[in-house]
Amino acid sequence: MRLPQPHIRMRSIGALLLAFSVLLPAVPASAAEGDGGVVLTVGTTQDLDASNPFNTELVVGYEVFQLTYNLLTEFDKDAHAAPGFSDTWERADDRVTFHIRDGMKWSDGEAATSKDVCYTWGLALAAIADEASIGSGYLDPGLSDAGVTKIECPDDSTFVAYTTDQSDRIFQIYMPILPEHIYGEMDYKKISEEKFDAPLVGTGPYTLAEWQTGQFARFVRNENFWGNQGFADEVVLRFFADNTDVMVQALKSGELDYAHNVNADQFKQLATDPTFTTVEGKANGWSQLAFNTYGTGTGKTIEDGGPSTKALLDPAFRDALGYAVDHDALVERVLGGFGDPGTTIVPPVLGDWHVEPDKPRTFDIELAKQKLDAAGYVLDGDGKRLDKEGKTISLALAHPNTNDTYAKSAQFVKEWYAELGIDVSVQSYDSDTLTDMILPPEADGKAKYDIELWGWSGSPDPNGLTIVFKCDQIGNLSDSQYCNPKYDELYDKQSAESGDARHATLAEMQNLIYDEAPYDILYYDSNLDVYRNDRFAGWQNMPANGTPFFTYGILDYTLLRDATAEPSDSPAAATQSASAGQSAAPAAPDPGSASSSGQTPTLLLAVLAVAVVVVVGGFLWNRRRTSTAGEDE
Amino acid sequence: MSVGTGVAGTDRATGRAPGSLVRAGGFSRRLLGRTDGLVGIVILLVFGLLALAPTLFVGPLENLTTTSGIPLQAPTAAHPFGTDELGRDMLNLTVHGARISMTIGLMATVITILIGSLVGIVAGFVGGAADTLLMRLSDFFLVLPTIVLALILAPIILDVIGSRAQLLGIRSTLLVIVIVIGLTSWATTARVIRSQVLSLKERMFVDRARVIGSGGGWIMRRHILPNVMNLIVAQAVLTFATAVFTETTLAFIGLGDPSAPSWGQTLNSAQAAGAPGLGAWWYIVPPAAAVVLVVMAFTLLGNALDDVLNPKALSRR
Amino acid sequence: MSGRYIARKLVQALVTIVAIVLLNFVLFRMMPGSPERASKNPHLTPEIVAANRVKWGLDKPLIPDQLINYVESTAAGDLGYSIKYRGQPVVEVVVDAAGPTVLLIGLGEAVAIVVGLWLGARSGWRRGGTIDRVGNALSLVFYSMPYFVIGMPLIIVFAAGLGWFPTSGMTTPGGNKTPVEAIVDLGRHLVLPLTAVALGLIGAYSILMRSSIVETRSEDYITTARAKGLPDARILRSHAFPNALLPMVTLIAINLGYVVAGAITAEIVFNWPGLGTLTVQALDARDYPLLQAIFLLIAVSVVIANFGADLVYGYLDPRVRA
Repeated sequence: MRLPQPHIRMRSIGALLLAFSVLLPAVPASAAEGDGGVVLTVGTTQDLDASNPFNTELVVGYEVFQLTYNLLTEFDKDAHAAPGFSDTWERADDRVTFHIRDGMKWSDGEAATSKDVCYTWGLALAAIADEASIGSGYLDPGLSDAGVTKIECPDDSTFVAYTTDQSDRIFQIYMPILPEHIYGEMDYKKISEEKFDAPLVGTGPYTLAEWQTGQFARFVRNENFWGNQGFADEVVLRFFADNTDVMVQALKSGELDYAHNVNADQFKQLATDPTFTTVEGKANGWSQLAFNTYGTGTGKTIEDGGPSTKALLDPAFRDALGYAVDHDALVERVLGGFGDPGTTIVPPVLGDWHVEPDKPRTFDIELAKQKLDAAGYVLDGDGKRLDKEGKTISLALAHPNTNDTYAKSAQFVKEWYAELGIDVSVQSYDSDTLTDMILPPEADGKAKYDIELWGWSGSPDPNGLTIVFKCDQIGNLSDSQYCNPKYDELYDKQSAESGDARHATLAEMQNLIYDEAPYDILYYDSNLDVYRNDRFAGWQNMPANGTPFFTYGILDYTLLRDATAEPSDSPAAATQSASAGQSAAPAAPDPGSASSSGQTPTLLLAVLAVAVVVVVGGFLWNRRRTSTAGEDE
Repeated sequence: MSVGTGVAGTDRATGRAPGSLVRAGGFSRRLLGRTDGLVGIVILLVFGLLALAPTLFVGPLENLTTTSGIPLQAPTAAHPFGTDELGRDMLNLTVHGARISMTIGLMATVITILIGSLVGIVAGFVGGAADTLLMRLSDFFLVLPTIVLALILAPIILDVIGSRAQLLGIRSTLLVIVIVIGLTSWATTARVIRSQVLSLKERMFVDRARVIGSGGGWIMRRHILPNVMNLIVAQAVLTFATAVFTETTLAFIGLGDPSAPSWGQTLNSAQAAGAPGLGAWWYIVPPAAAVVLVVMAFTLLGNALDDVLNPKALSRR
Repeated sequence: MSGRYIARKLVQALVTIVAIVLLNFVLFRMMPGSPERASKNPHLTPEIVAANRVKWGLDKPLIPDQLINYVESTAAGDLGYSIKYRGQPVVEVVVDAAGPTVLLIGLGEAVAIVVGLWLGARSGWRRGGTIDRVGNALSLVFYSMPYFVIGMPLIIVFAAGLGWFPTSGMTTPGGNKTPVEAIVDLGRHLVLPLTAVALGLIGAYSILMRSSIVETRSEDYITTARAKGLPDARILRSHAFPNALLPMVTLIAINLGYVVAGAITAEIVFNWPGLGTLTVQALDARDYPLLQAIFLLIAVSVVIANFGADLVYGYLDPRVRA
């Protein structure tokens, strides 16, 4: 009987491999050099979500639009107001007059004038007037927060913003100035849906040239940039979505110049290596346990939602719980020592505005138990804590899955509370679902959680973070559903104050929240960044206790210089660059394929390819030989 | 990789005499006489013991609040497998991981075998429209990509069973994995069993029983079932291997429960902590080796069982 | 291969695809986390939510309106918008990621098939030989290792350690490469992930081929051929191998679906920008439209691959004709 010959498939596969492998050895052995110019490659663990500045909700997104566009006023190295789109300004009682830089051009050559500011800020005012927002609504509230009521452009070089608010908030407004000659036709609704496809036109130092979703965003030098031209010709932001391991390996191998948000262990290891500089940036924010206090004072309840026990509405209960959390241990074990134990709602990084609580809590499980008993929450026969309604207290803790530290802290809290006889069930969610979950009926939600473990990041002004506890934030930013008219009073008061008066009011607010404890602030976590010393120099922490990148403003990108051109600056540069496999030539080291190591891999590849070809070829040849020796059936 | 049935799983009715239950004495001797059978059983016993009573060997699962190890320390006398980034002892974690990983594997296997055998027996025996329907259904399930389906089903199932459900100390997130593995693996088993049943149907005694007038269900239970038992057992063992493998993969991707350190979950934590880049091999090797050993052992054992209980190829050697 | 056979298989494939689309629809609607909130607006007012409901057609009854809506838009290639990549059409995101996966998996399968099948055939034919023992043992080990377990040591040794290959990614970002440079760059990034995928698959194929050969070897016609005195090697190549290959064809096709999904872990470890990495990111963000589209794409590809396998099988196996 004749049998079919399935050789065809094998042959064609072999041919495929053959074809592919022939290509490889034909390639010149030395790697590319000098085509893209000098490239600064920056790694981050966040994955860019949108190139439209109004839709991004991530720090990496802010970095993207800050590189491409200018804010009206930028930030200097101390995070104070510095010239941006405008270069000088004057303050009056009811307005601030900004002078728009003369001769400024967009990256496409068009003139940049006050028209662009009137357009961009006009979008925000229009949205505010409609009680709507642009995109995700993160940027436009800056204007209302600064009390801006009206804007005017009397001529091309002048922009006037009317506000009676005398604080610095007007200089911290995070609105990237968009080119009116490109987007001028769009209203705020249209701009929310605009794709902002690369390449973008901006007045920033580097404009977005290419975005490969999930991989990287590439920026090219803006020749028309009015400020200092940085050493880099191109900037590449590479995304390592929550994969610090891969990111750090890329940093070590020379593929990255900068890594943002490495973890504590990696940080410590890299700190011992002179090739790298590690920077612990004090973050303006914290991680907290937010207790669901919905119904305090109002008596409102949510059907099939809300906190699972009335105990959460009792400040005495929450205060007692605070004694069961060892904040120092959390900083040590979860953050690897990089951070500060949490106390009040104005982070220490904001300097004088922060005060320590008048009546601080300590870590004392026994004391916590006593306080719970005293407050009327006793243990039953099985060692379980009961609330005043006689129900066993069992708390549902929800946290986002975006950061390891949340999961770990949750575990610690669960174990500590267990010692008090309170059972905690931990569940992680993605950010979007969690955001929905904590919404109360005021925003169409059920607020079905007991504790929310999350974090906040603020602005240079204390208002950014303290606003969260206002009554009107329920259904908006509030994740503790806290409402206290006294607090609202104080907030509004300090908003209009400055100096010592403001300091006093803020101190009162901080203590109020600390004592009432709708939040148990776990720690103020630091940002851990690392960069190489051997390619770029001139790294500047912004501000002094912060990190060079992913902070306020992008000044540092423009300050970088060539490291190898200054032997005194980085003494290890010459030897380090050789051992790190980088080419020592100042111009254009191509990341990841330095010429010194370029010979080996391609050669290896060629050898491999040839080996494969030989094996496959031999196999095929053998079979062909036997089969042509005759079919006998 | 769930095509690991080890049997050339075609549905050709082979028409050869299937092995009936081999007598006990001969069975163990033949099984243990083979290297693969022996190795498989030994590893199975070791890990089985560890899984059943981890506390006996390494004490209770380490608590975050009570560990005292130095984070990410290489193996020392005190911690023979080193520590993780929170200072927990890796040996402790790995052994407790055995309980979690293997419990999940077991539960998933039970579901798979129950559904698969039922479908296979009914389809093979009843034949006709029911057979076609069931086989189309199983084909459909075979086509669905397991892991992506798992990721989609997970939140749905979680919603249904609630986040506080628990079974045998396994929490809902992991129960989801159990259910998903079960749902996506039964098809292979069903096909294999059906194949066997088809050939069994040809046997005389079944016809004789029919002539006497016994009901279908009775025949299935009393005659078919005992004769496919061998195959079911072999399949169960192989399914177990796949289940552990799949659970490890799903946990590594992030579908697991951080408070239940199965081997996959531990590997996930290792990756997140940057262990590969930091050179902390002790964080990776124990759970990885455990998974590989268990999967290997069960595959070997399954193949050995298959050969011993169904000596088709054996007879012609 | 008769037309009837082709038609029958084609119809089966189409029915399966329809079933998958329906399943997709059901799953999507069962997802917790309402689609209305796809625009992540913290200032979401009830009016906006209501408007979104209308926009998404969620105010109409589930069946038949929403279903028809869904089927229509799917057929037109509109699978909704990604939640994570705010506002980008899901189809775009998925298509961008499909290329790298096909490249990696395609090459991985090719290499694994050639090596794995040869190794398995060799092993199964001469059972007990050194090649059999060693090959079998190695195959078993690799078969039991998830891709990331194979991948991590590769990275540690060859990329981070020796620096021969990049640690991650598919290309070096940077604007101006010549086509030749681009290929080399791609090649260098491809080596390690390809090795990991191929090794894992070789194990599977070699083991399966081995048992298939063992089965075939005991068939009557083989015994006859040997009795006739034909050289062993030729029997293996001309008779046993082709016949043992038949069941493998089906398995290889079925395997494609598992491979693409299973290679998720390989992609994670190497940060390879394919469907695998995309799936994990979609999972993390609970980006259901994206997950669904990936599911649809993979499932349909598997159906098509199976159909192709059926055609090949039909062509190869004379018993199947008509």
